[in-house]
Amino acid sequence: MSNELIDFVIVSVALLAIGIYGLSVKRNFIRMLFAVEIVINAANLNLVAFARFLPHSGGQTFALFSIAIAAAEVAVGLALIIVAYRMYKNIDVADFRSLKG
Amino acid sequence: MIELTSTPIIILAILGGVGVALPVISIAMKERGTVASYGIVTLIALFASIGYVLYQLALDHVAPAAIFSQDVLADDAFGSLFAIAMLIVAIFTTVGSFSYMKNKANPSVYFSLILLSTIGMVLVAYATDLVMLFVAWELMSIPTYILVGFLKKDPISNEAAIKYFLFGALASAIIIYGISLAYGITGSTNIGEVIQGFMVLDANLIPIGLLAVGMFIAGFGFKMGLVPFHMWLPDAYEGAPPTIAALLAAGTKKAGFAAALRVIVMGAVALSLDWTLALGIIAVMTMTVGNIAAIMQKNLARMLAYSSIGHAGYILIGLSIAPFSTIGIQGSLFHILNHAVMKGAAFIAVAGIVTALAVTHIEKIKGLGRRMPITALGLVISLLALAGVPPLNGFWSKLMLFASAIDAGTVVWWGPWLAVAGVLNSALSLAYYGWIIRKMYFEGETEKRIKEPRAIIAVMIFSIIFMVTIGVYPEPIIQFTEFATPAINVAFTP
Repeated sequence: MSNELIDFVIVSVALLAIGIYGLSVKRNFIRMLFAVEIVINAANLNLVAFARFLPHSGGQTFALFSIAIAAAEVAVGLALIIVAYRMYKNIDVADFRSLKG
Repeated sequence: MIELTSTPIIILAILGGVGVALPVISIAMKERGTVASYGIVTLIALFASIGYVLYQLALDHVAPAAIFSQDVLADDAFGSLFAIAMLIVAIFTTVGSFSYMKNKANPSVYFSLILLSTIGMVLVAYATDLVMLFVAWELMSIPTYILVGFLKKDPISNEAAIKYFLFGALASAIIIYGISLAYGITGSTNIGEVIQGFMVLDANLIPIGLLAVGMFIAGFGFKMGLVPFHMWLPDAYEGAPPTIAALLAAGTKKAGFAAALRVIVMGAVALSLDWTLALGIIAVMTMTVGNIAAIMQKNLARMLAYSSIGHAGYILIGLSIAPFSTIGIQGSLFHILNHAVMKGAAFIAVAGIVTALAVTHIEKIKGLGRRMPITALGLVISLLALAGVPPLNGFWSKLMLFASAIDAGTVVWWGPWLAVAGVLNSALSLAYYGWIIRKMYFEGETEKRIKEPRAIIAVMIFSIIFMVTIGVYPEPIIQFTEFATPAINVAFTP
């Protein structure tokens, strides 16, 4: 039984690594947003897997909350990216450098 | 079950009701309402909330220190202290926005988002369950992403919002991953039960516990502006409308500390690991990087942003020596309350300068003492208080923090060095604050007095009175922080 749990955790850690990698390497805002989403989903997978193997099933409730909140977050993020695209005609990190120092 | 008349529930009802109703009313009135009308409704809601917090405190309905109940929210003094600080900041932001938002689009949405974000901050401080903590954290963060980018036609505001959003979203993702690990190894999401679970943790699960605490430090550290995670902070504060920068610097940052105190400090104590030195190193790095970078800034808002990073370092001193000195956490709480007022007032002064003169460059505020005397005076007093000049409020909280660091020297060798670093950094900060004061009062000659926005004057006068009164007579606030300080030493003894 615990072997099954470790499988879920390995997938979740792999997703976390992919997300962090994507966020640090990619230079396109939409891709970076995807990377953050992958990290959130790694956590959701963890929560649901732990809830399956624990007597306390609060993790599944939490995963539902987290999915809803992530959706709200993405809605705001995409809106910000659209506004930025209208202004810069581009969504590449390299073009956003007027603030520095 | 938590009572329906407890402080967080009532604040949630008042601010949430008004926050949701404002845009709806605005649409029903076909957007004819003025900035002042929406602002006054917002202010009434905020004053009602702060009144209710004080009323509950006065009637002793509030549990002392921090409690860990089975509920998702606790009505305790620890949360009340943060609630007072955040509501004061929200009031500053709202009043400052009266003049700043004049002739700008969508005032009802703007004020509604401020209210929603304030609920989030207050609930973070009261949350005793990790699910509640996360939901409140997002309720605090998501409105501020929009508020930072509120000037849709301004490319700087946009850029700041996107950078802030990406880092903020990553921070939330890391927090939820940390929560999932903590849930996995302890089998509960209640903070009290998680801490108890940490105490009796199986030896081969301890690395996962450490990873969870590390993820909490990283996630909350993003909002607090601790040094490896501070890159977004100056950009966001410079690009945001200055009133919103006040909300971020003085409000959301404090929510980060509230969460950190409840989760990291307690959780790390339960794991009984040598986390204190790590936090101490982060504290020294944070204050040094913040203050050195602040010296080189040419933009007033950006300079205040770096100074705000430096102050996160001072507050962290209290957290890092928490197990060794009884006044460590108390000093942190006192400095959090003071910093909320000082930094809030400084950013609102910047908002006043932007509203009246549309400049933030330090070279362009020459002779401000003659052009806008009250705003300039408010800025000077808040800068001196930030530097810790007696007899202002910042002096007492810094004194308490440094004294606690020296006090901890009997247990850990590096305790006094934190105090040394803090004193050196305070001296350093006086250099760049003094430079601004020099520009405002001793340079430029021909400036005439111009009309200052009345709302800004109100904030300035209130904050000057607050800072000087607390500076001259700090006793009541010190007693209140003592009442609110969570008893950490009890948990530390094995």
